[in-house]
Amino acid sequence: MILPIELLIALVVWGTLVGVDLVSLPQMMIARPLVAGTVAGAILGDIPTGLKLGVVFELLQYDILPVGAVRYPEYGPATVAAVATAHSSPSGVLGLGLGALVGLVTGLLGGLTISVLRRVNSRVVHAAVAQLESGDPRALIRVHVGGLLRDALRAALVTAVGLVLAWLARPLLAGVLSPRDALVLAVATVAAALAAGSAGTLRLVGRGPNLAWFAAGLGGGIVAAVWLR
Amino acid sequence: MAAVNGALARALLRLFAVQGSYNYERMLGVGVGVAEEPLLRGLDRGKYGPAVARGARFFNSHPYLVGLAIGATARAEHDGAAPDQIERLREALCGPLGSLGDRLVWAGWLPLLSGATLAAIALGAGWFAVAAFLVIYNIGHVALRWWALRAGWEHGTRVSVALHHPVLQKAGALLGPAMAFAVGAALPLSASSLAVPFPRWAQWAVLLTAGVCFLLLRWRGDRVNGLRLTLGIAALALVVGLIW
Repeated sequence: MILPIELLIALVVWGTLVGVDLVSLPQMMIARPLVAGTVAGAILGDIPTGLKLGVVFELLQYDILPVGAVRYPEYGPATVAAVATAHSSPSGVLGLGLGALVGLVTGLLGGLTISVLRRVNSRVVHAAVAQLESGDPRALIRVHVGGLLRDALRAALVTAVGLVLAWLARPLLAGVLSPRDALVLAVATVAAALAAGSAGTLRLVGRGPNLAWFAAGLGGGIVAAVWLR
Repeated sequence: MAAVNGALARALLRLFAVQGSYNYERMLGVGVGVAEEPLLRGLDRGKYGPAVARGARFFNSHPYLVGLAIGATARAEHDGAAPDQIERLREALCGPLGSLGDRLVWAGWLPLLSGATLAAIALGAGWFAVAAFLVIYNIGHVALRWWALRAGWEHGTRVSVALHHPVLQKAGALLGPAMAFAVGAALPLSASSLAVPFPRWAQWAVLLTAGVCFLLLRWRGDRVNGLRLTLGIAALALVVGLIW
């Protein structure tokens, strides 16, 4: 992957905004893979690739219910890296599989860094207990803004590492994979994403009355999909 | 009145960053303290510091509804409620706000709009569907944050009245079925649109592999998650592809 420096900077900035949006600020859902992927595609002048990878990672996102302090992978910057990988791949199918692979590794890394950040924040808060308990608003804001800045740094690093993986993926894997290998990889990632999306949705839906609505939607979707073909 | 509205507006702006210093010691506590601080500025000098300190202690709930607790505790501080009563109010609100927000937003509004967007993209709406998702989602998001903060401020220690607001009850009843229908419809449509460039045998392979993976996730969901499974399947596909 050889992208102009201005595009790389734009992708890192976008990935940072996306990473910060996930938890810290302002949670307006630009961190959703659909949004992160589409805008990354627009930055690269390749919206269809952005949409396609966005859909794959959005399906994977259904596997996550961000309640409490639960640990989860971070698919926002991951989708940005995935789109950069796919955009630089010679064929669409190769890009889909390779992009998903790079994005998954980046998502795993992003999830780990969130956990590390929360532990670091805990230490900072613990060290500032006396100031916080004195009711000093400046100390409170200092601790809080520090957390925000650390999250921004974390998101920038995750995006940058994802883009390095995207840069490495082509010489390491794209040259080795035949078109059939690339197709098998794309089939595997799309299938697993669909399975994760279905299983995650069923966990949300439960066994109550909503299950009938899910079945109705599924039936309608199948009819529409067959009709469109 | 203007001063109160100004303080509420400042608190609302800070609420967007309420999870900025999320940690395992106080969870959202520090962010809650930061967002509550503008509402405490009118307190006497002797009461302001202790109130700010109380506001930054442990708190955990849904980020969009945390304004309800912030408004209510700030109002209670102004009304002269005893410190232990305010602590009890904070403790009592954590659970209900968390479960209500999870049900309304994480398991309702967000997957409903995400599912509708996936379906719209599969039907050819393109980036326009994504833009519509962002706009519609955030109308609900900002409205919920603002309502929560104002309702908390209006009701103070009687904030439980706001939690039984008929609109919340109605929304809870409608969002579940709508979400289930939208995501149900999105799954086959997305599968179809993603598999379009594949040859026929590969389309059947997607269906079969997805079925096996789905059963694995349902059967061993305690050990396998979507990320691990997808990484594992991708690694397996690479090996199979290279050997084949």
